[in-house]
Amino acid sequence: MKFWRQPLDQDQIQIPHGIIHIIEERCKGCGFCVEFCPRTVLLMSKRTNSKGYHPPEVVDGEACSDCGLCTLLCPDFAIYVETSEVSAITKEQRDP
Amino acid sequence: MADFDITDAGQFEHFGTESVGDSDWITGQHPMDGLLRGERLPHIWCQGCGLGTALTTFIGALQWLEAEQGWDLDKVSVVSGIGCTGRIAGYVRLDSFHTTHGRAIPFATGLKLANPELKVVVMSGDGDIAGIGGNHFIHAARRNLDITVICVNNFNYGMTGGQVGPTTPHGAKAVTTQYGNFEYPFNLPYLAAASGASFLARWTVIHARRLEWTLREAMMYPGYSFVEVIAPCSTSYARWNPEGRGLDPEKLRRRGLELMKHYQNIGKVAHGTHPKDAAIKVDKEGAIVEIVEGVFSNEPKPDFQSAIDEQAQVARERWQAAKKMLNERSQIPQRTDIIFRTEVQLGGFGGQGIVSAGRIIGQAAAIYDKLEACFTQSYGPEARGGAAGSQVVIASDPIHHPHLIEPTNAIIMSQEAYTKYVPKMATGATLLIDDGLVTLSPDQRQDLKTYGISATQIAEELGNSRAANTVMLGLWTAIIGAVSKSAMQQSVAKAVPPKTVEVNLSAFEAGFKKGLRYQVNNTL
Repeated sequence: MKFWRQPLDQDQIQIPHGIIHIIEERCKGCGFCVEFCPRTVLLMSKRTNSKGYHPPEVVDGEACSDCGLCTLLCPDFAIYVETSEVSAITKEQRDP
Repeated sequence: MADFDITDAGQFEHFGTESVGDSDWITGQHPMDGLLRGERLPHIWCQGCGLGTALTTFIGALQWLEAEQGWDLDKVSVVSGIGCTGRIAGYVRLDSFHTTHGRAIPFATGLKLANPELKVVVMSGDGDIAGIGGNHFIHAARRNLDITVICVNNFNYGMTGGQVGPTTPHGAKAVTTQYGNFEYPFNLPYLAAASGASFLARWTVIHARRLEWTLREAMMYPGYSFVEVIAPCSTSYARWNPEGRGLDPEKLRRRGLELMKHYQNIGKVAHGTHPKDAAIKVDKEGAIVEIVEGVFSNEPKPDFQSAIDEQAQVARERWQAAKKMLNERSQIPQRTDIIFRTEVQLGGFGGQGIVSAGRIIGQAAAIYDKLEACFTQSYGPEARGGAAGSQVVIASDPIHHPHLIEPTNAIIMSQEAYTKYVPKMATGATLLIDDGLVTLSPDQRQDLKTYGISATQIAEELGNSRAANTVMLGLWTAIIGAVSKSAMQQSVAKAVPPKTVEVNLSAFEAGFKKGLRYQVNNTL
């Protein structure tokens, strides 16, 4: 995320971070989690589950900020986020 | 079937188990699994359907209420009707109720009234709540029953194949309206507001976080709370309408998602909007172009249960007062003379005050003379001019049969009543007639004592012909003497309109004097 001025206490702020768990067998491949993730953490995978649906896969797990929107949006209870102790790292922070 | 025993678990077949459903559903993996019935999952909803999201937000709200508000989820019950959304009751691990089509709200009403400490949530579809159950919906809102109604609106009858429903936007296509819907849809929050609901909200499922907050608020709200949840129908509605990209093969497996993205783009959050401005706007093609969302109204008012309690309190007080009066009744000094069962038959035509006269006698006996009295009435459907009759039973002892057995005296004010009632009179009964209106028949029974008075004429001379019944009452009091004169006067003054008290009392006096004269003549 780009700021026009850096917040003074930016280095003290710990960005919440979550670990995403995907229960692939429950997934119906609607794509809600992939489409609406604010940090584009997820992507539809090429592989399929036993029903032939493409479940999402985590492509940028470090960026997840534990907002829980995927948990709430998933109609099939197939994805949830576990709060992590470490801070999330965004793309900008990784490659400035 | 003679030795059928309900406790014999071997009688029932169990499909699936707690941990592993009849499919590959393994419970206990997801934080929301505690509130889901694993043996019934996965649910039947299509890929890209918004109902699953509506359910996760609902469960999220319940988990928050349990954690933060200390709610006991054993006291929450979910009621659903029929339809895709109606299956929610079967998927949540709560006391739930899957009811007949459209009748979710009546079942919930019964549940709530029988057990007021339950938190009752009705979660059903637009076809169920606004279509077949529309009447129940508005009446529950009118009563302000303390339930939460969550109507998941997907703009069509999804389960049956996408037929046009009561909320399908004007111009939108459904399987039964291929040239566009020619009907106009309900604006559900406006309907609920007009019916008296005070908590109104609408969210699309894409605003899941805010929907969850609103559901928490709605479930905590004291009174009828209505939340409309707009969910995409990825199979039926999206197939025919431009928002779902129709049959575009590229998007075929993404119709639900396309609809969700569309709702994200057109949703307009405006809290406090008047529900009349919250109609779902469509363009000429029938594509939805704006959905106003937010909490439209949140103004608590007394709910149905508190109104019942208030009324019950009034009734209880009235009953206590009546009981106290009945208990004190035996201690009130009685009239020293004993009145044996006196049965009075009053007859005339409607408008003469026959029924009022009966009531005056009854009240005089029961209230002012502390006797026992029973009053019944019978009249035709006409307000004026038809046959009217009333019956009064007076006695010192409690009356066990309220109806007349053999009238011992009668007040007759019309020829019709004369022919009707006189044959039924007891032997030696007393008959009081209005001379001007009744002609005695030549073959009248010889045992009857008959007294006449030109009641209507006297009343007219006094200035109000409608006081004729009071003249008859004066005569009756003087001749029969079952009720004291002062009691009758008080009763007359109480029963007639305030402006006519004077006329009525002088009419009563005129009748009474005439009666006294009869008595003197008799003794001579």
